Amino acid sequence: MKVDKKLAAFEMFSLTMILIALKLTDTTPSLFAQKAQNAFWYIPLLAFIVILPSLLILLYLLKHYQAKHLINLLEILLGNKLGKAIGFIFLLLNITFISLDSRNYVEQIRNLYFLNSSTLIIFVLFTIICIFGAIRGIEVIGYTAKIFFPFIFISFFLLAFLIYEELVWDRIFPIFGSGLPLIVEESLLKGSIYSDFILLTMGYSAFRKSHDFNTGGLVGLLFAIGVITFFFLIYAVVFDYNSIEKISFPFHEITQYVNLGDFFTNIETFFMVFWLLATFIRFILLLYLLTWLFGAIFNIKHFELLILPMGYLVMVVGLVPDNSVVNELIYRNQLLNLMTPIIMGFPLVLLLIHLFKRKKVEN
Amino acid sequence: MQNRRKKAKGNEFGVENKLSSDLVANIDLLKHCFSYGKNNDFSMRVFQAKYNQKDVLLCYYASLVNSDKIEQTIIRPLLEQSGSSLYHVIIPESVKVTSNLNEIQDHMTSGKAIMLMEDDPIAYSIDVSNFEHRGISQSENESVVRGPKEAFTESLRVNISLVRKRVRNHNLMTEVKKVGDRSTQDVQLLYIDNLVNDKLLEEVKEKLDAIKVGNVQNLELLEQYIEDRPYSIFPSIYYTERPDNAAIYLERGHIILLMESSAACLIVPITFWSFIHNPEDRYMRVIFGNFTRGVRFLALFLTTMISAIYVALANFHSQMIPPDLLLAITVTRERVPFPLILEVLIMEVAFELIREAGIRIPNPLGPTIGIVGALILGQAAVEANIISPIIVIVSALSGLTSFAISDPSFNYTVRITRFIFILSAGFFGMYSLVMAFTIWFMYAVSLKSFGIPYFAPLAPIYLSNQDTYFRKAMRKEKWRPGYLLPKDLQSARKDK
Repeated sequence: MKVDKKLAAFEMFSLTMILIALKLTDTTPSLFAQKAQNAFWYIPLLAFIVILPSLLILLYLLKHYQAKHLINLLEILLGNKLGKAIGFIFLLLNITFISLDSRNYVEQIRNLYFLNSSTLIIFVLFTIICIFGAIRGIEVIGYTAKIFFPFIFISFFLLAFLIYEELVWDRIFPIFGSGLPLIVEESLLKGSIYSDFILLTMGYSAFRKSHDFNTGGLVGLLFAIGVITFFFLIYAVVFDYNSIEKISFPFHEITQYVNLGDFFTNIETFFMVFWLLATFIRFILLLYLLTWLFGAIFNIKHFELLILPMGYLVMVVGLVPDNSVVNELIYRNQLLNLMTPIIMGFPLVLLLIHLFKRKKVEN
Repeated sequence: MQNRRKKAKGNEFGVENKLSSDLVANIDLLKHCFSYGKNNDFSMRVFQAKYNQKDVLLCYYASLVNSDKIEQTIIRPLLEQSGSSLYHVIIPESVKVTSNLNEIQDHMTSGKAIMLMEDDPIAYSIDVSNFEHRGISQSENESVVRGPKEAFTESLRVNISLVRKRVRNHNLMTEVKKVGDRSTQDVQLLYIDNLVNDKLLEEVKEKLDAIKVGNVQNLELLEQYIEDRPYSIFPSIYYTERPDNAAIYLERGHIILLMESSAACLIVPITFWSFIHNPEDRYMRVIFGNFTRGVRFLALFLTTMISAIYVALANFHSQMIPPDLLLAITVTRERVPFPLILEVLIMEVAFELIREAGIRIPNPLGPTIGIVGALILGQAAVEANIISPIIVIVSALSGLTSFAISDPSFNYTVRITRFIFILSAGFFGMYSLVMAFTIWFMYAVSLKSFGIPYFAPLAPIYLSNQDTYFRKAMRKEKWRPGYLLPKDLQSARKDK
């Protein structure tokens, strides 16, 4: 019997939340704090405003052309070859970005819990789980995200609740940190932290209706920005500008600050469990989307078979940086700055072509 | 397939497949076919009917029929009464007519008496079957405090009547499918005709048709022939011995399979939730029922995870254990020579051994093993410094809570899962434990039972009563499960 097994709006919401909001747990806050100091907390908000038009344009075009996914849309608008070429550039950027990102998470796991283990072993295990998960397909990833999401959300909420007594609200001042121009510049450059969402449009056809994708995605994005900003604000008022620059993983740092009553004083492992669940789902999803992107560009129908080599590739690229500091402050920073204009620009180009085409048809 | 079987049988005896109008020839045919003389319980009797003065042959398996009934309703009327036709003379409720030898064989083996008459090329098959079976008893594996206590028994007719008693609906169909090439058994498909999805029904029938074996003795074996993934650790068919449970699922649009000589039924298709839910959740008021469910989810978590979490925390994340407790654990572990994971495994394996032995042990010895088990596990092992006392608590907790998962199939899933998690926790602590859990969970989510996603209607979502973790108040339940694509989705009255 065939029942509709496609994804619905809540799955999209959960996927978007896990994909985007998880940024609050990695090194993104300290990356922002390097320049913006204690004003880093609203950079995600500004960056979102910068990138929002591009995302909306993309969603509109996908719906308008009834495209199956991003590459399909590029092909419709730019023609077969040019579309695929742009897609290929996008693929290269994403492979690098996701590799560095996964290295970032592996370093977190290693530095916080398994200092004596080698990065390689942890990375191998990480890749194995990503491959095993991704092989189950986008629907299963969506279902799993949906079922896990409430638990992950509750754990984050609990953390915010428990840290409350540590907050010193005066620390948000000076409100513009190291100066407004610097913050605006940083916001303009870091729009690419939302680039994962563009990758998510590869899964457009896995949803029941385009309405599900759009609503779930946009509501998820808004919530994610809210949660990120909220947590960044917490970091800012817990650590103040001097220490936040030096702390690489503020999320894990605050899990070590909190107690649950007098008896349970070290409960970071509790939060780590939910954080790990979210991390796994995130990278499983990214790996799947990346392989899908690859499959779409090279016209490979059964791209699921490529998940294993793709996972391996991501791991190998992720192992290239010598250490986490280089990875974080040089490679990832540069890549984020490089990606932003591309992410912002290409939907605009697509829109121009769309308008041009429409005019041509009208004439 | 039916045709092929008939053909094969015809060749087996090397004789014509049809009856002739010569009674003597027919008698010879039947004698040959049923190995008369060699086969002790095959009985034959020839006498003259009074109403038309013709010779009559009556044959049956003496062990399958009710001889009183034969005497009262067939033989005596034929010998004594007169009338215009056979149907005016004999009394039994069900008489079928056939001339095909294979059909005669099928009827004979299912407990019917075959009657042949002089100058008549047809056989009358008269239902006088009397299969021995146990009476209806209390449900033993799925007991409830509140709610009906009766369980299915090893008789198809009784079981159907138990279901019909609860589903007073003329649309309840009891369709028969034959399985087995050599010893043909009836599989009874129960469904509500104006609810069940036709494609689903077809799929189930196809699966039954696809069984190509000589004999499928009972439901427990049938389950393994029709399930999708025989090697999966998750069951995909629900096996229950409670007729009230069967009736609930029938009303939702599921299909029930029954067989002679099985004191249970199979329900298809099924989701993960059915294994966690218990019919009693619905018999209790919504708050009480949901409280029980909460307890059961806690039990599910504890039984699969507690030992693994203990291994992970004590080995890799000891900072998480509060200092006083950590010191207590360390002191008790001081004299134990084994690594912690081995300790946990010893205890868990011991528990599984006692459990298996407890099921197989003859009843009079039952209490003994309890004492021996408790002594060995609890007292002696600790005193001998083989294991530390805290392990006894942990594994007793994980063992006991596994009994809260009442479904026997899912219980095995849970127990196997526990070992997977313990081993993975010993590898890289919480990191590998969460990894194993994610893979395990994603595998479960990817499963399907007859095309239905395992975690429906939670993920993916369908229109239904959303009876997943917790259930709603009874009067708010308005829908049948949308994932079954029933013909009538709304279960509450339409005008509401």
